[in-house]
Order: sequence, then C-alpha cells, then structure tokens
Amino acid sequence: MSSEKQEWLSAASDNRQISDSELDLLLQQPELQQKLERYQLAAAVFRQEKTVSLPADFGADIAALLHDEPTYQLTQSRNLLQKVGAGIRYAANGSWLKPAAQGAVAAGVALFAVLGVQQYQQPNGQDLMLPSPVLQTNPVGGFATPVSLSSSTVDSRFAEQEQQAMQEQQRRLQALLQAHRQQVRVTEQEQVKTEQDNEQ
Amino acid sequence: MNKVVSLCCTLLFLCSNLLQADETGWALFDKVQLSVKQYNFDSSFVVFKGSQVETFRWQHGRQGDKEIEHLVPLDEEGVNILRRDNVVYYFLTDRPALVTTNDSIKELPAILFADNQQIRSLYSAVLGSSSVMSGHQAQLLRLSANDPGRHSYWIWVEAESGFPLRIDVMSEQQAPLERWLVTHMQISPELPDNLQRLLETELPEPATRQSGAVLPVNGLQLTWLPDGYQLVSEPHIVPQLQQSLINYWLLSDGLHQVSVFVQPSQRMPTQAYRDGATTIYMLSAPQHDITVIGPVSINVAEQLAAAVR
Repeated sequence: MSSEKQEWLSAASDNRQISDSELDLLLQQPELQQKLERYQLAAAVFRQEKTVSLPADFGADIAALLHDEPTYQLTQSRNLLQKVGAGIRYAANGSWLKPAAQGAVAAGVALFAVLGVQQYQQPNGQDLMLPSPVLQTNPVGGFATPVSLSSSTVDSRFAEQEQQAMQEQQRRLQALLQAHRQQVRVTEQEQVKTEQDNEQ
Repeated sequence: MNKVVSLCCTLLFLCSNLLQADETGWALFDKVQLSVKQYNFDSSFVVFKGSQVETFRWQHGRQGDKEIEHLVPLDEEGVNILRRDNVVYYFLTDRPALVTTNDSIKELPAILFADNQQIRSLYSAVLGSSSVMSGHQAQLLRLSANDPGRHSYWIWVEAESGFPLRIDVMSEQQAPLERWLVTHMQISPELPDNLQRLLETELPEPATRQSGAVLPVNGLQLTWLPDGYQLVSEPHIVPQLQQSLINYWLLSDGLHQVSVFVQPSQRMPTQAYRDGATTIYMLSAPQHDITVIGPVSINVAEQLAAAVR
C-alpha cells in the first residue's frame, strides 16, 4: 500500500495527472501533502530549476544527520586489533635456526609477494640486447610456454619432457623470487646505510 | 668579440635555468617524502604489474615523535603489515609474526622513503605537466636515472599536500613497467582511532640478528657491480634455499636490492622474465646456473650474471 502511495505521489510531483480519488486522499491527509512537497522539491533540484528555494535549515539538518551517523570500523583494522589484543608475544624470526617457524612465515608472506611472473623473452643466449616489449603475457620467441598457459595439444614425448623441465624451472625461479622478496624484507636499513657510508 | 660575450651569456643563462628547474623538481620531491612521513592519512592504492593488479589500504599517522603505519593487502586473507617507528611487523593468520627493523615498509614504493641525498646522486629531477588526477590537481615530477641500467620514476604529486597520487616505474625505453596508483586519499588533522589503539598495544620486540644458513666455501666471486651498487655484507640466506645454493650475493644502491643466486646447473636454456619492474634473469653455464633478480634492466642483469667467476 505504501509503495502504491509513493508511486502516484511521485507521478504527481512530475505534473502527471492523478485520479479524483487520489486527489481526495491528498486533500484529506496532511502527511501526503508534505510528502508531495518534498517530492516536488527533489524533482525541481534534479531538473536544476533555478527558482528552487531550499529550507533555511537544510544544511543544519544534513549536518545533524551526519552527526548522528554511527562510526564504522573497517574490518581489517578491527581484526588486527583483536589479534594483537589477544597477545602476540614472540616473533617468528626470533630464531632463524627454527626452520618450521621460519618456513611458515616465508610461505605466508610470499602469498602476496609472488603473483605472476611474466616471460617476456626466450632468447636462448641471443637477442638479449634488443629492447623488448614489456607487460605482455606471451613470450616473444623461443620454445617455452609459461606454466599457466600450458597446452595439451603437444603430444610428442620430447615436448612433454621439455614442458616438465620448464615447469620445474619455473618453480625454481618462483622460489628464488620469494627468497629475494624475503631478503629485501629482512635486510635492515642500517645494513644498507653502512654499506653506502663505507663507500663514501 | 660581442658575439662571443653574448653566446657565453646565453649559455650561462640556459645553465642557470636548468639548475633552477632541477632544484624546483627536488624541492617538490622533498615535499613528497615529507608528506608520507608527516601527515595523518587514510588511502587506498592499486599496483599494476602487467595484467596483474594488487589492491592495498594504507594508513599513516603521527603523534608527537611517534609514527605508525598500517598496510593491508586487500586481495589476501589475514595479512597485516604494521610499522611503529623503525620496527615492521608482518601479521599472518594463525602464524607467528615476522618482525624486522626498518624505517619503512618494503611493500611500499622505496622511492618515497629512501635517503634523499642518495636519490639525488642517482637521479635528475624534472618537472612535467600538471593535470587532474582522481579529482586532485596533480603535478608530474620525472626522476630520470643518471645511469641507463637503472629504472626511472614518473611521480604525479598532489599540488597542495605533496602527496603522491601515481608512480610509474619506467624502463630505459620509457615504457611503463609497473604502476602504483592511489584510488582514494584523505588527510586528517587527527590520528585515526584504530591507529591510536595500535600505537598503544604491546607488540613483540624485533629479534636479535642471527646468522642465517651457511653456504659451503667455494672460489666463486662477483667481479663487477652496476654503477652505484654495493655488496651488502652478511645477507641472511633463507634456510629453505640452503640445499640448492652454491653462492649468494645481495647488492644495494640504497634504494633497490638485487639478488644474485648461484645453483647447480639444470642444463636449461638461458631465460629472462619480468614481474612488474623486477627482472628475473637466469644464465645457464656449464658448471652452474646464475639467477639475477632485481629492479634492473636486462642488460645489467646479463652483465651481473656474466660477472660470476
């Protein structure tokens, strides 16, 4: 019933004709008259009519509404606060000789560190000096196909062995990239500065 | 005689103009580095690496002489990176925290935090055009590498605050390798409530530095270093790699780090890959494979690999 009311009221605010019964209803109910007035005001604002006059306390009303709006906490911060609030008393890298703890951290941190390595050249020892297009997913030349794009149409045994070898190679390079990222993280600023100072 | 004098004057004028332009660029860069260390801000950014996109939320605040920074990779479940002054914490779900001593988070662009004098020695600063970016007036600042083997940076700076809005890492051929783009940024006078609470929370101390994995003694040496780079002494070696590593070197120019790994030969062809601005180059030699990983050009990576003897 409520949505039906709004529908014909909304139509009325756009200067569309209403029925006699709807007009009677409008004349009888001050609440509907106020609603129609608000609809007409909104429609005039949407049409960018210059003669629209907003109530004097319009800005104050909006400010009051904003003031009453509850404060929202983003989930990530709350989760972190809960986590640290529960008490984290030790660091995983407290002992680098504990491979289990260190391995877990390395693997975990690497989750967002290694997203996708793109092969941009298969030079096989040549053409390395040529400027190559970057940010592309397909190799320029050579024999290898990136792991994610492996094709099953190749049926020769030699090609399969080659694919397996390349997959193994990709895994090895991914591990090295993870190790490099981890190395960058744990390299302390002082180490780098000392090297630079010694050089100067 | 008059012509010679006027020519000298013109040259002098041009030189002074160029120096002045460079100094104006550096002044803007100083403002950029100051903005990310001084303001209380809440921002989001995305990193484009080819077809890959990573999204982050980045908050920073200051209270007196205390500084706090919180970085959340939004595409990963339960990963939080927090920095309080010079200690960085990596919080992972159901795992112990990794705690390191650093005055910046390494997942943020190093150019924003590295030593200013060191950056000035490696780059030239040139102002570019101004434009509107994400609703802000942005000024382009180009940091062009003095050495061609090093990537350049194009930084779009919010004119009023100096806050970085976009950073493109450019190759020698001026092609974008990686793009860092702010999608939302709000600077506020007060430290946000959640950072205030994180500032007061008790957190683990950074671990004392201990030796990593030990590699067997061998006669291999790295006989060449790229311009501006130095070897980092006693780098940690991730234990998982101990079995497969023959030798390892870590290089740094104060801003970027490059790893050189030597492993037993797998008899695979020489290969090159790229992960955003990071080059991965694997040279297959008869005795061993040499892999160079870091934000350097392919030429530099190739020379480095060839310098292992």
